[in-house]
Amino acid sequence: MLRKLWVYVLAAGAFSAASGQTWKVPVAMKTLGNGLKVVVSEDHSAPTFGICVSYGIGFRLEPEGRTGFAHLFEHMMFEGTPNAPKGTLDRVIEGGGGNNNGDTRYDFTEYIETAPVSALDPVLWIEADRMKTLDFSPANLENQRKVVEEEVRVNVLNQPYGLFFAIDLPGKAFDTYPNSHNFYGDFKDLDAARIEDVEKFYRQYYLPNNAVLAIVGDVNAADVFAKVEKYFAAIPAGPAPPRAKLEEAPQTAERRAVQTDKLANLPALAVGYRVPARGTHDAVVAAVAGELLHNGQASRLYQALVKESRKANSVDGGLNWPLGNPFEFNGPTLLVSFIVALPATSEDDLISAYDSAIADLARRGPDAAELDRIRAKMRSDWYAELELPIERASALSHAVLFDGNADQVSSVPDEIAAVSAADIQSFAAKYLVKTNRTIIWRVPAPKGAGEK
Amino acid sequence: MKIESFALAVVLCGTASAADKEPALPKDLPPYGAMKPLAAPRVIQRKLANGLTVWLVPESGFPKVAFALKLRGGYTADPKDRPGFADLLAATVTQGTASRSAKQVAEEIASAGGDLSASAGADSILVDASVLSSRANKAVELLADVAGHAAFADQEVAIAKSNLSASLEADEASPAFLGRRALYRALFGNHPYAVISPTQDSITQTTPADLRREYARRFRPDRALLVAAGDFSESAMESTIERAFGSWKAEGEAAPIESGKPAAVISKAVIVVPRPGSVQTAFYLGTLGPTRPAPDYAAARVANAIYGGMFGSRLVNNIREDKGYTYSPGAAILLNHDAGIVLTRADVRNAVTGASFNEIVYELNRMATTAPGTDEVEHAKRYLLGSLAIQLQSRGAVARQLANLWIDSLPPDALASQAEQIAKVTPAEVQAVARKYFPAWRMTVVAVGDEKVIREELAPFGLEFKNAQ
Repeated sequence: MLRKLWVYVLAAGAFSAASGQTWKVPVAMKTLGNGLKVVVSEDHSAPTFGICVSYGIGFRLEPEGRTGFAHLFEHMMFEGTPNAPKGTLDRVIEGGGGNNNGDTRYDFTEYIETAPVSALDPVLWIEADRMKTLDFSPANLENQRKVVEEEVRVNVLNQPYGLFFAIDLPGKAFDTYPNSHNFYGDFKDLDAARIEDVEKFYRQYYLPNNAVLAIVGDVNAADVFAKVEKYFAAIPAGPAPPRAKLEEAPQTAERRAVQTDKLANLPALAVGYRVPARGTHDAVVAAVAGELLHNGQASRLYQALVKESRKANSVDGGLNWPLGNPFEFNGPTLLVSFIVALPATSEDDLISAYDSAIADLARRGPDAAELDRIRAKMRSDWYAELELPIERASALSHAVLFDGNADQVSSVPDEIAAVSAADIQSFAAKYLVKTNRTIIWRVPAPKGAGEK
Repeated sequence: MKIESFALAVVLCGTASAADKEPALPKDLPPYGAMKPLAAPRVIQRKLANGLTVWLVPESGFPKVAFALKLRGGYTADPKDRPGFADLLAATVTQGTASRSAKQVAEEIASAGGDLSASAGADSILVDASVLSSRANKAVELLADVAGHAAFADQEVAIAKSNLSASLEADEASPAFLGRRALYRALFGNHPYAVISPTQDSITQTTPADLRREYARRFRPDRALLVAAGDFSESAMESTIERAFGSWKAEGEAAPIESGKPAAVISKAVIVVPRPGSVQTAFYLGTLGPTRPAPDYAAARVANAIYGGMFGSRLVNNIREDKGYTYSPGAAILLNHDAGIVLTRADVRNAVTGASFNEIVYELNRMATTAPGTDEVEHAKRYLLGSLAIQLQSRGAVARQLANLWIDSLPPDALASQAEQIAKVTPAEVQAVARKYFPAWRMTVVAVGDEKVIREELAPFGLEFKNAQ
């Protein structure tokens, strides 16, 4: 889902009051005449900046028969414009001492750069240039189709587990196309993409009124607003893009699947629970419950499965894991567990130990010490997501894209602090139940004769 | 079909890659401003009476503190018959102390907002944590407890051993792990730099008594550095550290650390790591490179950026942006105390294994045999100088970089002086260093994937093959 491998970041959790000091991200906001929203957060601790331009287009909105298109399209945003041919963007950004990447998720596609402040003007120019138009080149599309297929091979087809906890699990847990299709794309769909599709998609979604630009770093807000006005104001707005229909019929029964894996050596389990809609208090409760279960060696599942019952080699997961942090989604998502089992562990044994730990959360909510601990941990993790200018810009742009409110990034720790032990218990009793979950058990395929 | 596609690639490579003349930038593009000098942090250096080196980087504002406790000696200090023992030490050292169970350690560091993680490398072991500044004292207390009073309880050692054993089995399914392991073994032979993980044997043999003995020989204040970077006052942090670490004592003999430059081994045969079912070939090519203090390290960084270290580099432009053979090509200079590694990696679909190898060899040899353009060198220098500034944005990254400098016996101000060294690099120095490190014949070549595909695709090059041990 990323343009490049080497800046791959899986997001983690989030968090206040009980655990000491609070910290507020300073923000200034402006909306241009064409609808482009601009957020600036000054931070003069280093002579650098980070920028993120997020567009309101993600996996959920890609057309049927064109799975993987939003991400393939993201690659085309780096393939040049009539003013700045292919190669120019990297030359300008890297030559300015910076680096860049792109990232497609369910509810946004973002373009991110970080660089010394001396490169601010050229970087803004290059972002504005690709918001105006692209070089719709069939040859470049063919090149990037091949690159994306190699990306799918390196991350899915040639890897043990093949991201089944991120692709197959929502595929089984949800019923509607927007929430359940393979976001990386079937090769037949990627192969079917035409340059006309690229142009149409661009005209439909890549509009200033469907975008948020955030800048964080050693800049002056008024100065940034003036520059953004200069480079972006002439880009025309377009009709508001369509929204996907995201509603899912309620889940009524447990869903199970067993898969074989010809590359993996150890069995693994993925579990996904449906969760309450974002923006509700219950969604924050789900986030905290997810961290109580999965965050670090003190977490309940780590202690239960790795330490006590000794059935698991590793435990990962949380709300909206692994394609975002527990506060960074805008439609149906799952509370996910991904557990690599120790050799010779059976599905029944592992699930039975897992179920005891889950049941325990409903029976025995967190005591004061555990609640204090998870609040401190989530707050610290949330701050960590705001430390690098490029990541703070990303978080600010998503907050504005989803809620129109940049201050949301500062209030997350307070939202977490408002979650009580009783909230956790009633959430667990209502949502962390069999009829609300999907399980995939993935086992190594029998090795052929003579193979290890 | 495979031979044909290979022949085609030979024809293409002359044309596609020769087009490296830089086109003009767009006429409306605004110019860069003047680059500000690197704002390297002020580092306060202290030494406790027990020999512990302490480096403090106070910076107010962002409310966290990153700690790094670095111990000299990684795989280089392991007993000869126990490759990767340092990984066992790292996996168990945080799992309980004389006064805290493993669970209590995990819970207390979480209550400070962090995780206590320990990891081993060739030259060192690192224990680190990033916590809320309001609870930084708790992290110091835990780090000191782990450094001086780790328990290695039977039950915790047993759990760590079965998990390391399973992790090794899981890793053996990963092309990246298999490629690195085969390359390092081929490059370094009997030198401890050949190690990237323990073996099933070294895991099985390890006992709690072994761990306690090695812990005493290696977790010693006179062989340790503690870095703290973030939101704290200098005097308060100093006294917190003194209180927690002051009673830590070295007892008995220190473990010997193997030092000395490894012999340069170049495998003439392509090393094949069979991985049935692979749909890509993972290439790992490497040779011995400069160390951090080496006089040609700065020039080597510039050469590497031009070759494959940037997105706009020659290698990425060639095999990704021009030919679409791979998503994730790249090059890096990896640093160990006594030898660096000049590394190229790319995962390419099976059908272009030969064609990709041809282009990688071409780009390596082009670096070695032709002078880079002046623009290309200036571009790479600006990229690297900017990267140095970007790498100072996070407290954790500052702490880790300082710890690595210390392992290489460099002072904290090497953070700033590396920028001066890069700024001074000339095109002639880049060419000289490229001739030294980049000729394709110097590379040991590892290919992980479908054995039949690799042998058929690479056969036309007339190289020998041998399978990884």
